[in-house]
Amino acid sequence: MEILIDPALQPDHHDVYHDVYAGLPVAHAPLDEEDDGPPPEAGAVAWRLRGNEFDPDAPEEIGEALDWFFEHVDTSRVRAIVIGQWEDCYDEGSAEIVARLADNADRLPALRALFLGAISPEESEISWIQQCDVTPLLEAYPKLERFEVRGGSGLELRPVRHEGLRMLRVEAGGLGGGFVRALAGADLPALELLELWFGVPDYGGDTTAGDLSEIMSGARLPALRHLRLQNGQFQDDVAVALAAAPIVERLETISLSMGSLTDAGAEALISGQPLTHLRRLDLSHHYMTAAMMGRVREALPGVEVVLSEPLDAEREWRFVAVSE
Amino acid sequence: MTAQPAGAGGSRVAVVGVPGGRRVRLFRDAVVGAGLAEPYVISWRDVLAGRELRAPEGALVRVDSPGEDAEADALLRGPGDPARVGGGATWYARFMAGLARVAAVPGVRLLGDVAEIGVMFDKRRCHAVLAAAGVPVPPAFEATSYAGLRAEMARRGWPRVFVKPAHGSSASGVIALQTHGDRVKAVTSAAWQADGGLVNSLRVRTYTSHEEAGRVVDFLAGDGLHVERWFPKASVDGRVFDLRVVTVAGRPTHAVARMSRTPMTNLHLGGVRGDLAVVRSRAELWERVLDVCARVAECFPRSPAMGVDVMVGADWRSVAVAEVNAFGDLLPGLPDILGNGRDTYAEQVQALLVGTR
Repeated sequence: MEILIDPALQPDHHDVYHDVYAGLPVAHAPLDEEDDGPPPEAGAVAWRLRGNEFDPDAPEEIGEALDWFFEHVDTSRVRAIVIGQWEDCYDEGSAEIVARLADNADRLPALRALFLGAISPEESEISWIQQCDVTPLLEAYPKLERFEVRGGSGLELRPVRHEGLRMLRVEAGGLGGGFVRALAGADLPALELLELWFGVPDYGGDTTAGDLSEIMSGARLPALRHLRLQNGQFQDDVAVALAAAPIVERLETISLSMGSLTDAGAEALISGQPLTHLRRLDLSHHYMTAAMMGRVREALPGVEVVLSEPLDAEREWRFVAVSE
Repeated sequence: MTAQPAGAGGSRVAVVGVPGGRRVRLFRDAVVGAGLAEPYVISWRDVLAGRELRAPEGALVRVDSPGEDAEADALLRGPGDPARVGGGATWYARFMAGLARVAAVPGVRLLGDVAEIGVMFDKRRCHAVLAAAGVPVPPAFEATSYAGLRAEMARRGWPRVFVKPAHGSSASGVIALQTHGDRVKAVTSAAWQADGGLVNSLRVRTYTSHEEAGRVVDFLAGDGLHVERWFPKASVDGRVFDLRVVTVAGRPTHAVARMSRTPMTNLHLGGVRGDLAVVRSRAELWERVLDVCARVAECFPRSPAMGVDVMVGADWRSVAVAEVNAFGDLLPGLPDILGNGRDTYAEQVQALLVGTR
């Protein structure tokens, strides 16, 4: 059974996948045998692990949840894992968790979907979540199809070749240019959906449109169909780049949502290469004028153009949807 | 023949409140709707101004809130903008003195208990009572200054706390505070005025420097601060929520979910009534919520009703009590969870008639 990848879904940073992840019902490790009933078939659920000192039913440290998971679950069948909050996730990075999962890759041969940091803003603001170099996960799990990360602080990557990855999503209030350049230099021949949230410089988001040039060429992303470049302050630059990007003719959906797109970016989009082959163009959370919104709709008949109410186009400061 | 409260020898019902206010009106409607005589109203203004108090011989006296009345507020905190934040210590002292005057009216019986109301209006003592009874509450400490607050947060390793004025209500002066190294984020409904005071505003604002956050905390610190570790709340569609559960005669009878995009869920701060089904559909969780509320009610055995604010953890399993409100029953028109078709006021009148307490 294939791991579910639904390009119609646009998750946000409040989702913690408490009940469902990647189309699978979620089981919480360690299981409470009194309350949860008989254990589920290990491959029929997504396993959610967290360390939570507030919850009398959960271990205080995620390491204990991992211990239980490797001791009690037939991990050879596990297909999906959600890593939720770990203790002091605003101070302590995810390196130990990443190392633990990477070191045990031989015990998780069926793992296909992984969310690292399903932590709500109530638990930790997105920009405070401390991540780490996630390259070891991609190297250890060549068959991973779906990989999602929340939190850009400390997040690093080296350029890799990964034959299996079909969906990569990074939610951040600030995404470093180093990460984006490494990603752009990675060979991801199976990747169908790429989503990046850029955020703001105050929280480490120093990516520029130039860092995206190799993604725009599409040379290393032959299977890409859905490109989401979101939550950026430089959405106009991204739009200008997309207007001439070779990858666009292969895409089915594009999202420039959550950022500060203005009339200038929209003008570049509709006057650049044809976009009428798209199924959907998501421009929600934007700073376009009503007139420009109308022109975008007019220029793209047959395309589902997603437009929210305009934010104030006259405002001097333009905000992305998610930063703190 | 007119029905009369059981065990009360046909006593008339009285209420201490704000004459003409909606709380008094809602209670009056429930009393009259149950076939009882028009309740006798004792004005909080008279109580607080030291005027002579009278009530029918043997009256059963309900104590309701002095809130939503500028004149009563002025008598409690002194003259000034009723929307201002602060003055909690003075408010509390005068409020308690007023309650003592009500209890001393000859020949009446209070529905409620002065000491228990006093505990509920001191968040520090209320927290201690709940914790001692084993009711889940976030761990807490007292603070007297911003510097002291930060030092204690550092000592305990708590990066996120709720700072609550000891005697505040309705989120007045509450600050959701997070620190991370030099970073700080303080979310509060308190806004500075030109005259240097703080007022409650209808939208929350964020302060992002220690200087700004410290000014607010230090302004409020003189009246006592109760600091609780931030309990991460569950969220639905990007909104966090908590539950206001009303107990009557020891049992949870009414509940609403209050959802918000900010850490404060109070309805006047942009919170909205949410679908209670998000909790009720999870049988085990719902049982846990009801059980905790019943245990809270046991901590206040002489109080006929109270509003318990219950938080559900982000893990959807743990629960914790954020607050207990002596006058937390203002939920007009909300039917009870048992399906008897009674609102919080009718429920309390029913309890009075049955004579449960």
